Amino acid sequence: MSELALIIEDDLDLADIFAEALRSVGFTVEHATDGKKAQERLLNGEAPYLILLDMHLPHISGGQLLTDILKKDSRFDKTIIIITTADARMGEAYGDLVDFVMIKPISFVQLRDLTARLKPPQ
Amino acid sequence: MNRFWDTILNVPVPDPDDARRRRVLNIILLGTVGAILIGLAGIIIGSLTSGQLNVPETRLLLAGTITAAFGTLGIYWVNRRFSGRWAALLYLLLLTITFLFTDSPEQLSNGRSLFLFTIPIAISSLILLPEASFLFALLGSGIISGLALSIQQPVNIFAVIGFFILALASWLSARSLESALQELRVINANLDQVVHQRTKALAESLARERIEAGRNQAILNSIADGVIVFDRHWNAILANPAIRSLLDLPIEVIVNRNFRELIEHPKLSAHSRGLLYAMIEHDTQPLSFRIEWGGKTLSVSAAQVYDFREEGNVNLGTVTVFRDFTREAEVERLKSSFVAIVSHELRTPLNAILGYAEMFREAVYGPMNEKQVNMANRIITNTRRLLGLINDLLDQAQMEAGKLTIHMGPVRPSELLEHIHSLLDKTAADKNLRLTSEMDDSLPDIIIGDGPRLEQILVNLVTNAIKFTDQGEIRIRLFHLPEFRKWGIEVTDTGRGIPHSELPHIFETFRQVEGGATRTQGGFGLGLAIVKQLVNLMNGEIKVASEPGQGSVFTITLPLVTP
Repeated sequence: MSELALIIEDDLDLADIFAEALRSVGFTVEHATDGKKAQERLLNGEAPYLILLDMHLPHISGGQLLTDILKKDSRFDKTIIIITTADARMGEAYGDLVDFVMIKPISFVQLRDLTARLKPPQ
Repeated sequence: MNRFWDTILNVPVPDPDDARRRRVLNIILLGTVGAILIGLAGIIIGSLTSGQLNVPETRLLLAGTITAAFGTLGIYWVNRRFSGRWAALLYLLLLTITFLFTDSPEQLSNGRSLFLFTIPIAISSLILLPEASFLFALLGSGIISGLALSIQQPVNIFAVIGFFILALASWLSARSLESALQELRVINANLDQVVHQRTKALAESLARERIEAGRNQAILNSIADGVIVFDRHWNAILANPAIRSLLDLPIEVIVNRNFRELIEHPKLSAHSRGLLYAMIEHDTQPLSFRIEWGGKTLSVSAAQVYDFREEGNVNLGTVTVFRDFTREAEVERLKSSFVAIVSHELRTPLNAILGYAEMFREAVYGPMNEKQVNMANRIITNTRRLLGLINDLLDQAQMEAGKLTIHMGPVRPSELLEHIHSLLDKTAADKNLRLTSEMDDSLPDIIIGDGPRLEQILVNLVTNAIKFTDQGEIRIRLFHLPEFRKWGIEVTDTGRGIPHSELPHIFETFRQVEGGATRTQGGFGLGLAIVKQLVNLMNGEIKVASEPGQGSVFTITLPLVTP
């Protein structure tokens, strides 16, 4: 059984590319297309092994999801959180709360290589 | 009471000596009248008690006394209305003649009444002329000599000598009194003149100042921008009417108050309050920024006023100019949000293109031949370039809107270098260039700065260096200048260099050397302009030295702040 990765990203193309990178290293990928859907998914479903969270989302921002759910609910204590943003300053601001910050544009190779290292040893 | 005596005694004449003599004479005359009246009363009472009122001697005495009283009053009248000199002369003569009848010739010439003749000698120098004492000494001497001869007695030579000694003494004392008074009058007159001149000069300078102030006020009033002038303790000493309408406050709550009171006004936003406090607490050089006041955006420019005539350029205060910037700020806000949206919209598809191109290159969906991989690489390179351009444009737009701000925080210089290597080593290697870096040992491990912006500066400088260097190396050096509390970045390349004629323009927006370079090298020429503006925002300095064909050195010096 492969680990679950949740991609929270409103840009479908980027989500597609990220999903491909994660799948190529063996993750099972789920995708939430906006803040509200992501909130529903996080509150109800299984806690993912890894979350790739875009900070710039419709309805509920990535920052809000991060501080209101991911950092409050102990179910996500073990979840690896990577945030993605085009704003280096925002990345810096949330840097301490998360495991990794990736500044857009995010390279397919970079994401693939990083997540490959994050997978638990089989 | 004093005024009554002054009216009775003073004679209003211009010559102060004459006035003084006539006042003294008046005192003597009125005193004489008083003495005569007392004498008269004594005679009447004496003759009544002895029953001798009707004897002819008494009548003669009474008539003489009354005549003397009226005569004295007549002299007083002369003194007041005509001439002090004549009055004094008349009085002295009358006195002398009166003395002639007061005693027997023996007593007058050589006995107990001899002293009577000293009286006119002593007072004549006071009320007539200093020299007049000699005249009355002569007259007195003549009288006693004549009397002595008329009764076959020897002339009293000692009395005559005594008269003249007294006259001499009177003359000397009166003369020295007069000359002392004269000197005093000259001093007074000089003093009066000085006071007058000073007063006049003061009045003139006041008038001039008033005209000048009126002109300055008129200029100040006609300025459409709000102006407040502060003294060096930030007390508002001057403000123009425009500031009243700009701040929508009565002028009384602006002028003669400390600026801190205005800064605490609820219409001011918290951020603006911080900016204004920073301005008054740090007393920086001329500066300009914007504040939010009520619904308005105001631009504030402040310049300190120095008195350069004083040693060490004494700070006199600050002139602040407030301008309504609301509409411009709105336009800028729209413009920058437009730019931000456009850049975001432009970047999003580019990110996707980049990702898909990489997937091609990585052969995610099946094997690729070498040509296909090469093409994917070209797509990636060009997309990155386009992204870089959009970022530059966004930065430039933000700088123009004054939106680009510096956020200070702890920065590790060593991490800056690591990051640059991870970003640009490959780009340099692709052109067969060496990218090396070094750092002064004394540079602190952690400094305060804007990490992302410092990185951006380094990326821009190094990318530029790589772009214009065909062989050799690019050297990065982070240096420390402890004596100036500064640190800096130096980027040296072995590229084609910059022509001397172009050096002054190198930091201008949309500028690339030789125009045509744009086409072969790419870029808008925004990179260096952005670097320069970022360095300025960080209160730093950037310099460039270059020899065509030998390479260029860009040196940035920044204030060193440590945590």
